[in-house]
Amino acid sequence: MKTVKLFRRGLMVLLFSVAMLHIGCNTKTIEDRYIYDIQTKEIYQSASQKQTLKTTTQFVSIAYSDLNNSSITNDQLNKLDIAYQSLGDKKIIEDMIIKTFLQQANSLIPSNTVMRSDISSFVQNTYLRFYNRKPNEFEAWKVKDMIEKNADITPKMVYYTLMTSDEYRYY
Amino acid sequence: MKRKQFIKNAALTAAGSMVLPYILPSGRLFARSGSRIANHVVVCVFGGGVRNLESVGKAEGNLMRNMLNGTESISPDIAPGVTVLPTLTGTTLQSQGTLFQKFQYASGPTGHYNAHAALMTGVYSDQSIQLKQPPPFPTIFEYYRKHNSPTNNALNAWWVSNSLGPYPFLNYSSYDGYGAAYGANMIQPFSFFSQYASLGNPVSFTAAEKTKCDMMRDFANGQFKIPTQAASSGMVNSPADAELLQLFLNDMMALLPTVQDPWGVGSSMTGDMKNIYFGTKILERFKPELTVINMTDIDIAHFDYTKYVNAIGLADYALYKLWNTIQTTSGLANDTVLIVVPEHGRNQLPNTVVDAYGRKALDHNNDTMSREIFCLMAGAGIKQGQVISAVQGETIDIVPTVANILGFDTDISSGLLSGRILTEAYT
Repeated sequence: MKTVKLFRRGLMVLLFSVAMLHIGCNTKTIEDRYIYDIQTKEIYQSASQKQTLKTTTQFVSIAYSDLNNSSITNDQLNKLDIAYQSLGDKKIIEDMIIKTFLQQANSLIPSNTVMRSDISSFVQNTYLRFYNRKPNEFEAWKVKDMIEKNADITPKMVYYTLMTSDEYRYY
Repeated sequence: MKRKQFIKNAALTAAGSMVLPYILPSGRLFARSGSRIANHVVVCVFGGGVRNLESVGKAEGNLMRNMLNGTESISPDIAPGVTVLPTLTGTTLQSQGTLFQKFQYASGPTGHYNAHAALMTGVYSDQSIQLKQPPPFPTIFEYYRKHNSPTNNALNAWWVSNSLGPYPFLNYSSYDGYGAAYGANMIQPFSFFSQYASLGNPVSFTAAEKTKCDMMRDFANGQFKIPTQAASSGMVNSPADAELLQLFLNDMMALLPTVQDPWGVGSSMTGDMKNIYFGTKILERFKPELTVINMTDIDIAHFDYTKYVNAIGLADYALYKLWNTIQTTSGLANDTVLIVVPEHGRNQLPNTVVDAYGRKALDHNNDTMSREIFCLMAGAGIKQGQVISAVQGETIDIVPTVANILGFDTDISSGLLSGRILTEAYT
């Protein structure tokens, strides 16, 4: 009888642990290429925490998700994977893929008016969206300053810039 | 110190201070200006595995009428299954060059990848295929780019592959001191354009917008230190060259609607032909000093002998189109050596697959005949009309020969290459 009680208690603890683990996993897990939660969350304290090059599939699917808040279709992913393999200079194909994504109608890009109405918030959200971290003070000031001083900079240009930067290639 | 000694020392110091800044990282005093046979080389891997019996042996007639002399008719039993495209104008490549009739793929498995790797690294290898790993020995592209300063930008070195899988990884090796920094531009044109173009148009920025983007990216990159232990992201072009390459790719995409039959050969336009067609566009645009391009359709021989015979003829047609492009492109004409060589042959004995004409198909499993190939060299500085019928030359001789033609063979460390220069083909 005592053994059965102990077994039941053990089982409860195990189930509780599994449940907690499941809840804990409800975040962006780049390593496993799953995105459980499409809301942007800060997962890095600084850029230096990013040490690993994204794989082709990771790069393409994350870029698509970051822009569209939805997952890329298998068909599109396969096509882009083949195109990616077909060109030696990966920076060029990455650039072309990002440019294609940015042009697609379903890309979620704020208007220029929205960006300029609150540049600080735009910079903060953009860093969180693409770099999964907040900008440090210098970055926040500098990017805001560049946007303020250059009236022709659009949100699409800022997105393109961050998505084709070195940091975006790593996690 | 005596006055004379002082003047001498001062003169030596001054001379040293003038010379030292010009010593290159490679240790050379000046960039190599070594004598060249020609300023451009195009290596065409005529392939998918071709037996000498059907190619230079003409066992089924002269299937390669643009390359080889002779009008031997095609074997009547398979003739209905063979498309004979019109012979292109001009004399045969054989008449314009040197033909090694008994070239050898002397060692290593007679597999397509191994043989490609041997041809492009100058080293026979029996390593198993590593799908996503570069070869262990430097490729001809790396030798070229490392030892040809200052004309060593990646737009001068191209690997135009007809296949994906392990082939894209032949543009640079994992060899210490070489690698991605000296890699070639690689493209598998048909996959690239067909897959990429289906996704729609990319956004385009004006020059002014691009400048602003570059400014912001420079700032962002300045804040991020690329981890030293991270995997290499591969070869990269300089920003200026990347611009030129993107422009070229966009132009090519505009050509896509016509690429199904740019040569007016109808349904005969094969994957090999399309690969060569894109290769000619690269030659016309960039006039690279070193290009390797391959064909693979001939490998249909595993399943259909008559289609194999047919594919040899179509590859011959594509090859001559390549030659015509070279000879009609300013900057390449009369200054290019074309080297044509299959990666390996095929077995003497057939397999059991019988085609519509009752002929049996052919594999390639390391027998003697699967090691017998030919090599044709034509162009600037190459003897015309020479046929070498003795067993002479082998696959690993291609890299040292290309290095010699482009004038950097003596810069390659001894021990890396065991092949020889095919000087018997030179004038």
